[in-house]
Amino acid sequence: MRLAVVVQRYGGDINGGAELHARYIAERLARHARVEVVTTCARDYVTWRNELPAGVEEVNGIPVRRFPVRHERNPRDFGRRSHRVFDERHSVADELAWLESEGPASPAMIDYLARSSADFDHILLFSYRYYHAWHAARRLGPKAMLVPTAERDPAIGLTIFGPVFRGVRAVMYNSDEERALIQQATSNEAVPGVVVGVGSDVPDRTEPVRFRRHYRIRRPFAIYIGRIDENKGCRELFDYFQRYARTFPNGLDLVLVGKAVMPVPSHPRIHHLGYLPDRDKFDGLAAADLLIMPSYFESLSMVALEAWALGRPVLANGRCDVLKGQCIRSNAGLYYERYEEFVETLYALESNGPLHATLGQNGRDFFRRHYAWQVIERKYLEMFRALERERPRRTVESLPGWYARRGKNLPPAREVVDGLPSGAATTGTAPPASSSWDRTA
Amino acid sequence: MSDFTVRSDSVDVEQIMRQIRARIREKRGVDYTEEEIRELANVKLETFLDPKGVRSDLLEQYRRLRESPAAPRDSASGESTIGESSRPLVRLVRRLLRPILKLFFPRPVIDALHVQPALNESYNQANALYYELIHNLVLETTRLSIEVKNLKMRVESMSSRLDFDERRARALEGVVQYRPGAVPPLQPPAGGDVQTETGPGERRTRRRRRRSRRRPGGGERDHDVEGRPHRDDAQSETAPAGREPDAGGPAGHDRSDGSGRHSEHDPRARRGNGPES
Repeated sequence: MRLAVVVQRYGGDINGGAELHARYIAERLARHARVEVVTTCARDYVTWRNELPAGVEEVNGIPVRRFPVRHERNPRDFGRRSHRVFDERHSVADELAWLESEGPASPAMIDYLARSSADFDHILLFSYRYYHAWHAARRLGPKAMLVPTAERDPAIGLTIFGPVFRGVRAVMYNSDEERALIQQATSNEAVPGVVVGVGSDVPDRTEPVRFRRHYRIRRPFAIYIGRIDENKGCRELFDYFQRYARTFPNGLDLVLVGKAVMPVPSHPRIHHLGYLPDRDKFDGLAAADLLIMPSYFESLSMVALEAWALGRPVLANGRCDVLKGQCIRSNAGLYYERYEEFVETLYALESNGPLHATLGQNGRDFFRRHYAWQVIERKYLEMFRALERERPRRTVESLPGWYARRGKNLPPAREVVDGLPSGAATTGTAPPASSSWDRTA
Repeated sequence: MSDFTVRSDSVDVEQIMRQIRARIREKRGVDYTEEEIRELANVKLETFLDPKGVRSDLLEQYRRLRESPAAPRDSASGESTIGESSRPLVRLVRRLLRPILKLFFPRPVIDALHVQPALNESYNQANALYYELIHNLVLETTRLSIEVKNLKMRVESMSSRLDFDERRARALEGVVQYRPGAVPPLQPPAGGDVQTETGPGERRTRRRRRRSRRRPGGGERDHDVEGRPHRDDAQSETAPAGREPDAGGPAGHDRSDGSGRHSEHDPRARRGNGPES
């Protein structure tokens, strides 16, 4: 079996959520098939500047074929176009211009995939919202499998994505909430799909004492791992934690691991350690009392899964449907939606030993049951086999004509997404929505 | 704060969250969000709090208004009322036509027209005073409600601290009860000589020795809720929280078993982190 994994960026040192997800999946599936990664020469997800050489190289034993990006992203132009399609009435042409502006625009990569699609049995496209996934899905429809990594952001409300979700061969979802969101937004219930997610290479042994000694952290602490960014809910976390610290002078400290793109408050109980290698990260997780996930939007939190794998409970932002749903399904974490809940749940986790231990054990079981690599690999392989048994029937719907494409009759995407049901997903499926091309006001 | 009874075999996160929310509602009375409370407080302050606008002579103004005499009844000027105009030409024409106009306007109507401007003026003055009075009442009510709110918050804060202290005390009592062998029962005094031989200093020394023997081996470890013994942090990822056994930790962080996790029998004794008083 030959597989292509197509993703916007790829590399051993590129740790964006979807990119890391793609790398893990490529490396794992390489045990069962011949895998080739197709990606761009970009390293920076803001500009998509060509920084890596075009051509083929090997990363951890996987051949990686890179193509140059035609133009860098112009943040001002992208911001203007985003405002138009997310907040104003707009046309299909506006959405296509937004996609081109978002990038990474690499027509050479799409041409290569179209030319060599016969060489691959399946082509996995990561991150639905980028140029490469949309264009590749349209060109390779019957072979394309989508790993959308969708969040509850306005992009999912854009009408151009509906035909893609309905036209690909299969969709590999990250969570039940993601599947519910996509099905509500695009009515793609007929497309085969499975909630898979991604595993993690959690070490068998960790050294929390070494972490504490090395970073001189003696007090008990909660840990946050990830980019320290307002979009990840860190401002709210800092606000809540500082208020909590005033009320509980002997409570937990907060340890932050990750690159900061916003100022970290100078506080004696907030310790920012910066980006850490995997070993230190896992040791830190093992040393922590709990992991805090303040993010509002996630399609799957890998670090939450890692915390569960290590038997640590998670305190998540309850306004993120995915995190809340995972906490409920796993019975391995609590969630908060405002300060009072934050302080009560944090206190419950730090002070109630049996609760902490039981949540930790549940997390470990949840990870083993759903996110162990054997489970992930089995789900992918079963999907490949199922697709091989049936003939592809769907094709991606064509775009409207030149004139219809320019009619400003589409509602703001934000409005569309706000109108979709929210909350943690139950076992049922999403209610049907109208065809996205018909969704004119 | 957290009063959850956890059995080792099951935990329902939604149930725990319901309990937490019920507790918050109970504490606060009305389930306002933090933003809503802030918004309410800001609106009141911004809209009404303007102490400079309060007039001190409001009562005097009311008295003056009440004591002001009724409009004088001047029949001559009353008759001329119907001929008044700001334009001289119109006034002249009306004056010429006054005998005819008088046929259409009886005397009471002319008197009423004459008194009306004075009444209007008086009404406007009273209106302004009423407005000011209501404004001041609203201002005072708002101040009082804010003060009440502050007092309520202080009471709530103090009661939660008291509540916490009580629970902490109970937890500490529980620890003492659960480890009866750690402290020898108090004996009635048996004489001065005996006290000097087995005084408190020696008892402390003996206790320290026992602890130091227990730490590294972990032979007397607690069992967690699953019934499995805790292992050392350095040996396994399953060990919780990874405290350094010899670090001692900050005041109030007594780890009696050195494992970094309290026994399931004394969950509250795990940390003495009450609200700052």
